[in-house]
Amino acid sequence: MGDNTQDQLLKDLKERARPCFQCGICTSSCPVFRVAPELNPRLSVDSIITRGVVPREGNEWLCAYCLMCDQRCPMGVSLAEILMEIKNISAREGKAPPDVIEAALSLMQDGCLSPISSRSEKIRTELGLPDLPKAEPADVLKLFKATGALEVLETNKAAQEEASE
Amino acid sequence: MKYAFFPGCTMAYRLQFAEKSIRMVVPKFDIDLVDLPFTCCPEPNAVRALSDETWLTFAARNIALAEAEGLNILTACAGCHESLSMAKHELDRKPEKKNKVNSILKDLGLEYKGISTITHVHQLLFDEIGIETISSKVTRPVPIKVVTHTGCHLLRPERVLHVDNAEVPVKLDLLCEALGMEPLDYMDKTMCCGAGVRKTNSVTSYAVLREKMTSMEMVEPDAVVVFCPTCFVTFESGQKVANRIFGTDFKFPVFYYTELLAIAMDIPETDLLLAEHRVKLDLPKRDETKKEAEMDMGDSIASSP
Repeated sequence: MGDNTQDQLLKDLKERARPCFQCGICTSSCPVFRVAPELNPRLSVDSIITRGVVPREGNEWLCAYCLMCDQRCPMGVSLAEILMEIKNISAREGKAPPDVIEAALSLMQDGCLSPISSRSEKIRTELGLPDLPKAEPADVLKLFKATGALEVLETNKAAQEEASE
Repeated sequence: MKYAFFPGCTMAYRLQFAEKSIRMVVPKFDIDLVDLPFTCCPEPNAVRALSDETWLTFAARNIALAEAEGLNILTACAGCHESLSMAKHELDRKPEKKNKVNSILKDLGLEYKGISTITHVHQLLFDEIGIETISSKVTRPVPIKVVTHTGCHLLRPERVLHVDNAEVPVKLDLLCEALGMEPLDYMDKTMCCGAGVRKTNSVTSYAVLREKMTSMEMVEPDAVVVFCPTCFVTFESGQKVANRIFGTDFKFPVFYYTELLAIAMDIPETDLLLAEHRVKLDLPKRDETKKEAEMDMGDSIASSP
């Protein structure tokens, strides 16, 4: 990705983070921080504002996207959305965790995140539930290609292979 | 009223009995459900984290399918509800995003217009049907003490979803009361179940669950009532994992709300639903004489008012 895009992304994030006055209610409301203090939304935003650095050392993936920070911010800063943007940047750099890659692959293959096993289908039949119509696999693949997800997946696959060497 | 039904992956393939309970209950309120070839909503914390654009386009495709049929969407999972509602919010407010998405959907013969609404079963029951009508259908009250967990993705972001007060949610409690239950107040009522990071960092996820369930345990409920299949799985199956990791002793029965509604309305064959539960709760048995009468008369007669 070109530097221009990176600069623009940082500029956008700064703009979104700007109203933050570091009160910390986001962090004190965060259920993950309560048990894993390495996720600290206040510090993530601080890094963007004061250092101009998008913090992506891996802790961003600990965000459960429960939106408690978003709900409580007195300045209307959407911290969960900022963390989501950071995850997107991190993923484009090949740093998505394996389960996120797995979820995307599952969506690409089955159009569904839960594995559809013969057992799960059997339970549906036993309960008298209808067969659910499925999306055309070709359509699903088209969307993956057109939205750049395939490229992000390739980048992460390459990064995973490099790491295992 | 007819809806395009969006059970979501977790409910359709892991919590089939909860889906069954919805399909048992809604016809009694004159609601018809239509099944369409939806994909995963997509799940906000995995797919969207990888690519915001991919998430938005898949969600738009799902909504566009319902729009092509002239139907509004009925969701059953908090995650699906948040995901589709957030996507709709983005698309309806940002024409440049809508145009981009539509340029991709065109190739699939679809168009996102922004005309279908997204309603969760929670909203259908509380806001559309209403407590009074629900109460009038209760013939077999369920006298248990419960704690309710509405779920993060039904409550937040409150500015977009408007399902209930995000800090003091009361609607699910009132829906429980309507069935004869006693909802108990508890600390951390709006806290996450931990599901969002289960696969990325399972110990952290179960530590969040431990915190949540510790607060639930303090008020000694008979059961936990939820409106999201993912929260259901996290509480019901996850408590055993939490017990193994942290030495806790949680063993709460968990219910998806419409299961209890089906029981309270005395709809036949609710035993089918409960058989699938991993932690059982003894509920008052159905009236045997009534059951026999039903067999004589057939279900359709017995279930009419």
